[in-house]
Amino acid sequence: MKQETVRRIISFSLLVILIVVLSVTTDNFLTADNLINLFRECSVVGILAVGVTFVIISSGNNLSSGAMLGTVAMVIARLYHSTALSVTGILLCALLVAICLGALNGFCVGVLQIPDYIATLSVQMICQGLTYVLAIRTPGGQITNEIINNATITGFGGKFLGTPIYRVTVAFFGLALLGQIFLRHTKIGTHIYAMGSNRKSAEYSGISFVRVKMLVFILSAVCSFIAALYLTGRNATTDVASGTTLSFQAISGAVIGGASFAGGRGDMIGTVIGVLFLQILKNGLLKYGLPPNWQLLLSGLVIVGMIVFDAAYNEYMEKRTTKAAAIAREKKGAKS
Amino acid sequence: MSENKKSFDIKKLFGNTRIIVLLVMMAFFTIMRPRFFTYGNFVNIMYAVTLIAIMICGAMFAVLLGGIDRTVSGNAALSGAIMCVLISQKFNYSNGGAIIAILIALGGGLLSGLFHGLIMSRFKIPAFLLTLSTNEVLYGIVQIITGNQLINNLNCELTNYIGSTRWLGIPVPVYVLLLCFIIGYIILNHTVYGRQIYSVGGNREASELSGIPTRRVIIIAYMMSGLMGALSGIMLSCQNQQASASQAKNYENNVLAAIVVGGVSSKGGSGTLQGAMLGALLIGVMENGLRLMGIPSIYHDLAKGIIIIFVLALDMMAIARRSGLARGIFSGRKKEKKEAVASE
Amino acid sequence: MSEVQRGEVLFEMKNIEKIFSHVHALDHVNFDVRKGEVHALLGENGAGKSTLIKILTGVYPKDGGQIFMEGKEVEINDRDDALALGIAVIFQELSLIPSLTVYQNIMLGKEEGKFGFVNARKEKKDIQDLIDRYGFPVTADATVETLSVAQKQMVEILKALSTNARIMIMDEPTASLSQRESEILYKIINQLRDQGVSIIYISHRLEEVFNLSDRITVLRDGKNAGEVEKEDIVPSEIVKMMIGKELSESTASRSLHESDTEVELEVKNLSRLGYYEDVSFKVHKGEVLVLTGLVGAGRTEVLRSIYGADPYDSGEIIFEGKVIKPRISDAVAKGFGLIPEDRRTQGFSPLLTVTRNVATTNYDKLAHGGFVNKKDEDELGKKAVEIVDLRPANPNVVVGNLSGGNQQKAVLGKWLTRDLKVILIDEPTVGIDIGAKDEIYEFVEDLAKQGVAVILVSSDIAEVLRVAHRIIVMREGKIIKEFKDGVATQEDILLASSGFTGDEKEVAHE
Repeated sequence: MKQETVRRIISFSLLVILIVVLSVTTDNFLTADNLINLFRECSVVGILAVGVTFVIISSGNNLSSGAMLGTVAMVIARLYHSTALSVTGILLCALLVAICLGALNGFCVGVLQIPDYIATLSVQMICQGLTYVLAIRTPGGQITNEIINNATITGFGGKFLGTPIYRVTVAFFGLALLGQIFLRHTKIGTHIYAMGSNRKSAEYSGISFVRVKMLVFILSAVCSFIAALYLTGRNATTDVASGTTLSFQAISGAVIGGASFAGGRGDMIGTVIGVLFLQILKNGLLKYGLPPNWQLLLSGLVIVGMIVFDAAYNEYMEKRTTKAAAIAREKKGAKS
Repeated sequence: MSENKKSFDIKKLFGNTRIIVLLVMMAFFTIMRPRFFTYGNFVNIMYAVTLIAIMICGAMFAVLLGGIDRTVSGNAALSGAIMCVLISQKFNYSNGGAIIAILIALGGGLLSGLFHGLIMSRFKIPAFLLTLSTNEVLYGIVQIITGNQLINNLNCELTNYIGSTRWLGIPVPVYVLLLCFIIGYIILNHTVYGRQIYSVGGNREASELSGIPTRRVIIIAYMMSGLMGALSGIMLSCQNQQASASQAKNYENNVLAAIVVGGVSSKGGSGTLQGAMLGALLIGVMENGLRLMGIPSIYHDLAKGIIIIFVLALDMMAIARRSGLARGIFSGRKKEKKEAVASE
Repeated sequence: MSEVQRGEVLFEMKNIEKIFSHVHALDHVNFDVRKGEVHALLGENGAGKSTLIKILTGVYPKDGGQIFMEGKEVEINDRDDALALGIAVIFQELSLIPSLTVYQNIMLGKEEGKFGFVNARKEKKDIQDLIDRYGFPVTADATVETLSVAQKQMVEILKALSTNARIMIMDEPTASLSQRESEILYKIINQLRDQGVSIIYISHRLEEVFNLSDRITVLRDGKNAGEVEKEDIVPSEIVKMMIGKELSESTASRSLHESDTEVELEVKNLSRLGYYEDVSFKVHKGEVLVLTGLVGAGRTEVLRSIYGADPYDSGEIIFEGKVIKPRISDAVAKGFGLIPEDRRTQGFSPLLTVTRNVATTNYDKLAHGGFVNKKDEDELGKKAVEIVDLRPANPNVVVGNLSGGNQQKAVLGKWLTRDLKVILIDEPTVGIDIGAKDEIYEFVEDLAKQGVAVILVSSDIAEVLRVAHRIIVMREGKIIKEFKDGVATQEDILLASSGFTGDEKEVAHE
């Protein structure tokens, strides 16, 4: 069977088991309110995870997605606070900033050939710094979190067309769907898989490493922008620490969902499963009355377990392939 | 010929672009704020980089193996928490108890390192992804140990002594750092184990075939890293007389930044401990200088991020120039100069 | 079947020259390909086959000569030029993307569709049509990782076909295939030929070459040694061409005898599933035992098992009369040494100096309580440089910066500085210039004189005859012939390794 199929079955069963256990053992898990809330809570991370998935499939990682969200959110707040730009203008500027930061990632990884985790770590630092630089201050120099009272922006935090579902949830699933179509049905999507799986043969086929890396990091940055939009819309303000802890959650979601750190494997369906799994786990821990202290530990253990499992599974598959080849050769020896 | 050799040695010692960057930076800060160039301020810089530098003495081993250990901060938080909880809740602030607590805290670091070593030596996993995740687990454990409460007023003679005494005007943790550096330096440069680290980091398969017990080498490296992280956490708790559930958070970024800026190859197998220390110093000087210039510490991340990319870009250019790849980019004067030197 | 196209010359290389550091790797070589033929390129290792192929595919520039395609002179400067001319290589090390499907792999980099979208349905259909036309046993939407090695190779061939390749180069295509899979490949090759595709076929398996080829060109020492049409193929004649008639008897053969000293190492019925089977031999003190045969015959794997680097399933390894279960560190302590096949990935740490590399095997002597005695270490480095005559004679150079021959010498230095009892040497002279080769042979001879038991793996027959006291030929994991008494000639060994034994050698293939 395909390695990805096996992996999908595993992550999907984990999710189903978790849902079943929670539905049976708690009485308020499977309620509309709880589910709507749950989907709302995981969506911002989910949008980031969609972006990070592109990067991981191309065989890399992005530690800066959360910090970039913070920066973009601050750009929006700052421009709203200090300029007379229209909302469209503000959002365009913010998008431009995001694209530039994404391109910086792409430049460091693609052109300068700095390892992903160092490059994106540096950009993460730069983003955090920029967020502080842009922060709105009182005349005394204190950072304040100004309220953004613009209906268009706060509208992003609202519900979708009169339904009880939040817009951000729709955006998450919509982006995941778009991402899935992009990965599986466009030329560049195929190129991302090829580059992640086997850089050399991808380059032999005329695919440019720099272009793919640029693209995935810019896509990830655009996702950070979209996530920032919804987060700012929901909170009607932003904080200097916004998003800093989200990078890890986004990476976790993608990895649990089956995006392989070796590159070339994974997709948006997996990422959605992974993100939901993490959120439901968190939700369930609350339902069980476990102190929030245990959340970090348990979700951390799940991701560590998944990483080790993936490594062991990859190794097992490799061994199986070599063994199959060896047995094939053995048969040949017997015949001749 | 002899001159050639000498310049080569200096380069090997620190990676001379770093020295130049450091000197330029120091000159700049001295001009801007003469107070920068004083003994007192240098002690301040040393003190500021101490904790990071102790962590580097351990994390360096993992990086030399081509890995990375982001759990230095989690280990520090864990050991700080273990120590403070034990001292305050079990040993009633006694000195003897403090020693036992410190030993147990160090043991916690060793154990965490052992876990990482076992996994990293067995599986092909990107070290940063694993340690990124296990670091969260460690902080999770810390939250549980501390009950997510600040444990303060650590009213214990021994820890107070470590945290606040100065010998000859220099804080005790700086001496601890000095000791760690000397031990680390000796291990890396004068022991069989140090030789094996470089060999395994440079080429694991060849080392294996030469009879080096590569798994053991890797496990010990991560244990060293865990131990140093724990030691650094103890120093931190001693200085602050407290432990919190989020202490030392993000220190790993500084550690990593210092090691990378210090010219240690992220692919493993090359780099020196003194180089990494120089990297730490460089970042320390930068932060100190910026602070003296009245720029608040919240901006320093920005500067750090830029300096990592800048230094690595310099390296990249040097490599490109050496291999002649960059003929298009670095044409002109530099090349002529090089040729002139060659013709001499 | 294919008479229609035969005879029409499609592609021609005339007087091709290639010089590597003053050595003529190719000396006025002529080679042409007719439309719809299987043209085998034969020659021993180092005869210039791969250099010719690399010029043909634009990897190396030629230093002289002309290339014609359909009578027009062309320049092949890179891979794209070759592809544009319809020349495609079927890669030996498969270059497919495992997680993508067959059609995605084939269309990679040249996807069809509008607005950036892939028209998957059309691609799938087109590729399936292509597959059906040739009747390959694969489907267009299978994922590559689920395919067998042979099927992956078919995908490579399809990839070439999809670029309208007119000339396909197959380099040892059956090396990792089973018998049944090889037969399917032969069928495919015949089909391709019938469709008018020309195939340049390189293989050490003479049997299959004789069966498949319409024509054989033999290269020897970078020169044309002969060209034979299918009707005129006589196996023994071809082998003579490969070896060269003008070689004097003394260099082309060697008298062998089993050493009468003590047995140092004995291997009894050693087997490892899929790699080698029932391998038994003895090595005496001071003897050079050579394991020869084709690449993939299981020789390297036997060496690695003896050294403890790989496991074995059954059998015994007896060292100095005692059965041992080898582990690398124990083996090294007992006086074993290994000079591995691929020195770049297995032999040395490229970033470290010669001294440091040499020292990796010597810490048992250099260390005192875990500390390295730097003076002793430097001494050792100097000693090693002296022993192996390293150039530059500087123990502080970084090994990665040395030339291939000197890198190999540095690897030798790791072991020559130890008191060895058994040394296992795997293809020691691949990619090394002639001068350094001779020096390495001298080291091997010296080691034997000192009483070390040497097991050397080599595919280079001249090398085998130069150093061996005794020769074992392996084929497909088994020992098929041992030369221990009397005279062995190049011809004997070549025939034995490529599957002809004893009387068969004078018998034509069909």
